[in-house]
Amino acid sequence: MTKEERLKKRHQAEKRFRFYGLTSIFVALLFVVILVQNIFSKGSSAFKKTVITTEIFFDQELLEIQNGASEEDIMEADFYDLMIENLIKAYPAKDRDEEDELLRLFSGDAEIEIKKAFLKDNNLIGKTITLDLTASDDIDQLHKGNYPRDLPEERRRISDFQLVIYDYFVENKKISKNFNNYFFNNGDSRDPELAGIGGALVGSFYSILICLLLAFPVAVLASIYLEEFAPKNKITDFIEININNLAAVPSIVYGLLALQILLATIQLPRSTPLVAGITLALMTLPRIIIPCRASLKAVPPSIREGALAVGASKFQSVFHHVVPLALPGTLSGTIIGLAQALGETAPLILIGMVAFVVDIPSSPVDPSSSLPVQVYLWSESAERGFVEKTSATIMMLLTFLIVMNFVAVYLRQKFEKRWN
Amino acid sequence: MSNIKIKSKNLDVFYGDKQALFDVNLDLNEKEVTALIGPSGCGKSTFIRCINRMNDVIDICKVTGNIEMDGMDINDKSLDVVALREKVGMVFQKPNPFPKSIYDNISYGPKIHGKGETKSELDEIVENSLRKSALWEEVKDRLDEPGTSLSGGQQQRLCIARAISVNPEVILMDEPCSALDPIATAKIEELIDELKKTYTIVIVTHSMAQAVRVSQKTGFFHLGKLIEVGKTEKIFKNPDNKMTQDYITGRFG
Repeated sequence: MTKEERLKKRHQAEKRFRFYGLTSIFVALLFVVILVQNIFSKGSSAFKKTVITTEIFFDQELLEIQNGASEEDIMEADFYDLMIENLIKAYPAKDRDEEDELLRLFSGDAEIEIKKAFLKDNNLIGKTITLDLTASDDIDQLHKGNYPRDLPEERRRISDFQLVIYDYFVENKKISKNFNNYFFNNGDSRDPELAGIGGALVGSFYSILICLLLAFPVAVLASIYLEEFAPKNKITDFIEININNLAAVPSIVYGLLALQILLATIQLPRSTPLVAGITLALMTLPRIIIPCRASLKAVPPSIREGALAVGASKFQSVFHHVVPLALPGTLSGTIIGLAQALGETAPLILIGMVAFVVDIPSSPVDPSSSLPVQVYLWSESAERGFVEKTSATIMMLLTFLIVMNFVAVYLRQKFEKRWN
Repeated sequence: MSNIKIKSKNLDVFYGDKQALFDVNLDLNEKEVTALIGPSGCGKSTFIRCINRMNDVIDICKVTGNIEMDGMDINDKSLDVVALREKVGMVFQKPNPFPKSIYDNISYGPKIHGKGETKSELDEIVENSLRKSALWEEVKDRLDEPGTSLSGGQQQRLCIARAISVNPEVILMDEPCSALDPIATAKIEELIDELKKTYTIVIVTHSMAQAVRVSQKTGFFHLGKLIEVGKTEKIFKNPDNKMTQDYITGRFG
């Protein structure tokens, strides 16, 4: 082989390598785009809900309460008859069956929505107002175009008559799409149009908070001790190997551990953010210790020596100089660890967070769901309405993860000091 | 002849199984500059790190024998190294200012030792230290800038200022000019000349010329042994040992 040929070959090898690299990046980006596009196209409609504009007349005879009634009285009052009487006026129905079909176009919460309107203004007796009442899941999906209306009637959940009413509503501009406040404020529900991630959000928040409070101080102190103070011997080597191994243990194993120790032995309440937080903290601990130790190790020894040489004690050299320099790396490691914990599903299923919880938890010891478990739960539901809810929840989860990662990068860049 | 400040007797140092210093007997005179020369890995740095017990940081390092400073045994296990290092400052091969402001770099030592209780006392210490290290005029208007923003030579003078801020008796310098250009080196050498009026200085250097310029006494190390020690003039003009002769004339090393 001549010199020129060899040179040419070397250049070709480099070109080939660049090509492989570019192709890989392109393929990876393509997958990301497909994933995001898929989730967005399915999920974005969940942030809107279909509402039917309905006139409500507050009839004294049907309500049995007075103008200016107290909040308690209103809460106890029966709005059911009032709701029925008003809703059947939304479309001229001929008989009882048609009225029933008409009523099924509204969500199960129509009564509560009317009651809430009255709670806001308790002088409505004898007056007529227009309310945007949430439509049922079927109408919601139909209006969002997710529902095929050209199927034969017996294979549809919506009857021909209901389609007629729907078209009547559309024609009279009585049906529209509003911001879906239920998606953020409500807990889980059997009815897709009423189901929300409020409970899961609060549950995830409590879990991550407890995880942070438990894991961060323990992980940071353990890292500082292991990196700066511990003697280097077989015991510390053994501990180091085990920490690395624990970081790679499948998360479901932590779920089993929590099931046995926290639930069966200590008898903590199941399905609660408290147990979830402790479990996630156990899981996150080694995942925080590793980046913490790495960032402590990255502080140049010359800084330690400089501090020791002016007479700082070991403790002072570590806490005055090494730890502040390692802090950005430590914090971003912690945030990445928490982001992983936020998306963790398997251990939470084992500790019972997969239970159907309607109420939004008010404390970490109330039964609760969490975002990833909510995704899991809804992805198994048959109703069309839950498909968009699932994707929308994934979008929320991804948003939190991206925000947390950005915060981590920001902290690292902002506070990272340069040394030589 | 001036007083002996530090006296080492039969000093042996081991890194694990490897012996780094063999039976070193070396006296350092008060308010004088002692230069330690020798090829790389000969134990010069190891020796000066024994004087402020910096070798304690290395787990596998073991020191036997005796070093005394003013009659006090430095290797005594009950000796408080923090108090020792307050008396024996050190300047390293590579400038290593803390990634903090120039002011904080200097004031850190006095603060942890409880010198300079008030802000004005600290200000005074900072100014004096910077003046003594001939850096004051260059940095007096930007004391709150990070120490790492200075040039290499300035950083090294900052480190010297940091060392003298706690008012030590001895300053150890481990090749302080090896990372600096000739102009910065000249400044540091001038400074050493000035500092020896107040401090006992030990300097490790690879530059024969530097040893001649700054020191009064020179020790030559080879393979962990102190081969020859004596007045700098004598060592460089008329050494007793053949090996010293070979080293200073550049025949090996």
